[in-house]
Amino acid sequence: MRENIPDDQLRYVGKETDRVDSIEKLTGKARYTGDLRFPGLLHAAVKRSPHARARILNIDISAAEKMAGVHAVLTGKELNYKLGLYLVDKDVLARDMVRHHGEAVAAVAAETPKLARQALDKIKVEYQVETPVLDALEAMQDNSRLVHPGLDEYDYFKPAFTPQPGTNIANQTKIRKGDIDRGFSEADHIFEREYTNPNVQHVPMETHVAVASWKEAGKLDVSTSCQSPFTVRNLLCVAFNLSHKDVHVEVPYVGGGFGGKAGIGVEPLAACLSKKANGQPVKLEASREEEFSLLPCRCGLTYQIKTGVSNDGKIIAQKMTMIWDSGAYADYAVNVTRASSYSASGPYEIPNAHVDGYTVYTNKPYGTAYRGFGHVEFSWGMERHMDYMAERLGIDPLEFRLRNALKPGSLTLTGEKILPSTGNVTACMEAAAEAINYGELTEEERAREKRTGRKIAKSVSALHKAPAMPSFTATAAELRMNEDGSINADLSLTEYGQGTYTALTQIIAEELKFPPEKIHLSIKGDTEKAPYDWQTVASKGLLMSGNACIKAVQDLLDRAYNDAAQVLRADPCDLDHDADKIFIKHHPDENVSFSDLAVGYALPNGQGIGGPLIGLGRYMAQGLTNLDKETGQGLPALDWTYGSHGVVLEVDLETGEFDIIQVASAFDVGKTINPQAVRGQVIGGMIQGLGTALCEGYAYDSEGHLLNPSFTDNKIPTAKDIPEKIEGIVVETPQIDGPYGARGVGEHSMIALCGAIGNAIYWASGADLTHMPIRHEDVWWALHNTDKDRQRARYSIC
Amino acid sequence: MNMHTDFSYFAPGTVPELHQLLQQQSKSTELLAGGTDLLVDIRAGRKSPDRIIDIKQIEAFKTVDYSPDKGLIIGASVSCSELIENTTIQKHYPLLVEAAADLASAQLRNRATIVGNLCNASPCGDMSRALLCLDASLEISSADSRRSVPLNDFITGVKTTVLTENELVEQIRVPAAMADLPAGNRKLKRIKGHDLSLASVSMVRSNDKLRIAIGSCSITPVLLPEFPVTVDLEEIYAQTDKLISPIDDVRCTADYRKFMVNNYIKQLYHQLT
Repeated sequence: MRENIPDDQLRYVGKETDRVDSIEKLTGKARYTGDLRFPGLLHAAVKRSPHARARILNIDISAAEKMAGVHAVLTGKELNYKLGLYLVDKDVLARDMVRHHGEAVAAVAAETPKLARQALDKIKVEYQVETPVLDALEAMQDNSRLVHPGLDEYDYFKPAFTPQPGTNIANQTKIRKGDIDRGFSEADHIFEREYTNPNVQHVPMETHVAVASWKEAGKLDVSTSCQSPFTVRNLLCVAFNLSHKDVHVEVPYVGGGFGGKAGIGVEPLAACLSKKANGQPVKLEASREEEFSLLPCRCGLTYQIKTGVSNDGKIIAQKMTMIWDSGAYADYAVNVTRASSYSASGPYEIPNAHVDGYTVYTNKPYGTAYRGFGHVEFSWGMERHMDYMAERLGIDPLEFRLRNALKPGSLTLTGEKILPSTGNVTACMEAAAEAINYGELTEEERAREKRTGRKIAKSVSALHKAPAMPSFTATAAELRMNEDGSINADLSLTEYGQGTYTALTQIIAEELKFPPEKIHLSIKGDTEKAPYDWQTVASKGLLMSGNACIKAVQDLLDRAYNDAAQVLRADPCDLDHDADKIFIKHHPDENVSFSDLAVGYALPNGQGIGGPLIGLGRYMAQGLTNLDKETGQGLPALDWTYGSHGVVLEVDLETGEFDIIQVASAFDVGKTINPQAVRGQVIGGMIQGLGTALCEGYAYDSEGHLLNPSFTDNKIPTAKDIPEKIEGIVVETPQIDGPYGARGVGEHSMIALCGAIGNAIYWASGADLTHMPIRHEDVWWALHNTDKDRQRARYSIC
Repeated sequence: MNMHTDFSYFAPGTVPELHQLLQQQSKSTELLAGGTDLLVDIRAGRKSPDRIIDIKQIEAFKTVDYSPDKGLIIGASVSCSELIENTTIQKHYPLLVEAAADLASAQLRNRATIVGNLCNASPCGDMSRALLCLDASLEISSADSRRSVPLNDFITGVKTTVLTENELVEQIRVPAAMADLPAGNRKLKRIKGHDLSLASVSMVRSNDKLRIAIGSCSITPVLLPEFPVTVDLEEIYAQTDKLISPIDDVRCTADYRKFMVNNYIKQLYHQLT
């Protein structure tokens, strides 16, 4: 929509714009869920399993219940509710069986947090410990113990997912394109390798927190730090059999989500505790340690890739097997499996493709959405694999990528034809390569090598991602004009740091021809007041809500023009407007101000015309279909955002230590709405990607205990870890159905960075790593020790 | 903030008052200086003191004093940041500044004290390693006794020291002879920002001798016997191998710790000889 307007005709779109929420956040005035005050508030605490897998023989809550000031004590026994986004497999509190270390088995609501913790100490749980299922590949074997013996009884979203009862496979996604056997038989070279990733925690600054009040007659109020108020509402209604009109979810400022708050988290337990406490509000706020294993993490992935390539460096066939370790529950993992399966090749054309994506239950903390939705993980393997093949073919890795890149006319794995307007991954790669002087060392870099004794190398990776969402995903925006001609806007996209609300303000301003200062978007989400949005996930917010805002402005202007036409006794087609008034084009002095029209126009004799000016805009994703369950063919992608990272780094060949000197990242954003916000997303995501690449990941012992559930031993990058030089580059191939041609870039900056780093380390040192994260120690093991020794180093993060 | 434990708080203004408080019976008393270890332990449930005695009101503990004949004195409440910014220490004991500047993060360095870092007695303490090299000793007192303990005898195991219940460390003393010496530090971390040491080495060249201390590779920081500067590197490696016992844990493998300790020794040896 509006994708071909020249820059010089745009007033606000494309211009550097300060964030609409910056002053409130910087002055500490922004209110988050934990800041809210409720009379009679009770504080929750959760008793968690010290075992990865155990039968619950008995839970004695009698002593806790007797404590003064304790208003509710719950165990799973009395909570006959099942939860699940796509596969309904999770209890609010574990019943009969605990399935991962840290799982909730009992909960308390008391008058103070300290009292709640003391009550927890009085709850005695008897467990019969069992051997946990910890390895996803072993969990797929026929003789594996089952994490969910009752899988056949669970309800699930049938159009998209295929659980396999009697196994640990929560879903299998199949993609079949061309003729894989013929492809391999025609190939001159076959390359086969396996790449792995551990669980990773999102670590938003604000941990999960919710306050719930279960009032009389099945009415439930919830304030929560979440990404998707309407999904939380819907899942609460389904789980508790409540009417949607009676469940009210409000979302104040949110301090980061990264996918960890995409679905439902602490809300159901807070609600059950409130119900038990006769409706008193109950606050459940996760500690940082609880974020690691009470709440979900990123899935682990084992990615097996077998590729057939011709002598001239064209990929002919590729078999891709993804084994997603979803941990104890399916949550978003089934959809991570689906979305990464249909993107599994990265932005390369594969004429004959065969993908099997498996979501596998294990006795580990459960996996959910995480920025990139599977693409960070599989791109690690795919981008490493591209360089692995290029070296053996004797082709430059960038050249190999360019030869195989998706371009107009190419067919994706699901048979979607790439159009000129889809985007340009080749331009992204070329821009990133140019920014890092790919292919040679500069004089400065050669001098640096001499000075430090370290080896410098460069690499370029490529990426793509489309939103993973139902084919019928929809949103809406509502505008209301105020007495002074200013605008209040409501939508249910959650602003949790992305900057989308600023971009939407610019879009509304552009469309209305009003300065952005006259427009206020309510940042607080509220299911009673604002119109529906599915979820704030998948980098689809700007495109979908941007379009809804454009349509809402059109709707409001239609009403305003109709009212003005009566006032001015003109035909609406002869009217135009500016920031203050509607006027007759050929008699501009004949005009009526927006402030006079805003809540209904009064004629000189007092008679009224029109009414409050409102505008509604709905937007439905266009032209998407389900995927065929046997072939995976169909149209799953709202839009593809392409990108590329160029990396320059240096390695100490003796110690394995390395430093990242430069990262240059290019993305085809369609159209930049706010350069500041693009920069923020590009740099922020790149640094989060560094965390995944270099240091983050869960470590377990052989019994499935999580060994590093805090920042002491789960390190994340700090300001000191930012590369010496960083650069964000935009390529702009307008998206025809994007607002002013824009597409999302929220997740993409994190994807394929890890592969670029792994490749540059290989080219600098020869350390050939296939597991993330890449710690200095791992490089040292790879350089100086045997394969068997190297396995030992995996002890840490696996 | 939610209090995790109930305790009585004292902030004595003089050392005798502090000694008096320490003489009184209590279930458990903790001294509070920067609090960067104590608060973490309380939150994690590892400690639940019924009395907390804040030592920051005591003027004498804020001392940083250097004289060419007496050497350096660091009072019990001197923070890492105060040490880092002290131009006298920068000039005469740059090793201490270097070690303190790589301890935790800027925010924590503003609170954490040098004496507290020693009393916490972690095997990976950053200040103990550097101060061992500098032959530091601790002035310990109670209501009825005073004693001076070499740092090498002070830390007895993981988080244990020779301090008795009614004693405290008033100050650290670093000999004048250790001033103005060539010295260096190396610390292995997982990120460039705030991290514990996975393995670390401090080395000082004192006349014709090398003093070397190693962190995070044993239950306490380890001071190697002095070596003549003419020593062969292999000899240092052999001694190191005998005296350290690094472990495999979630942070690092023993093999890499061992390798990096030797590598750091080599780097510092070449830097100082």
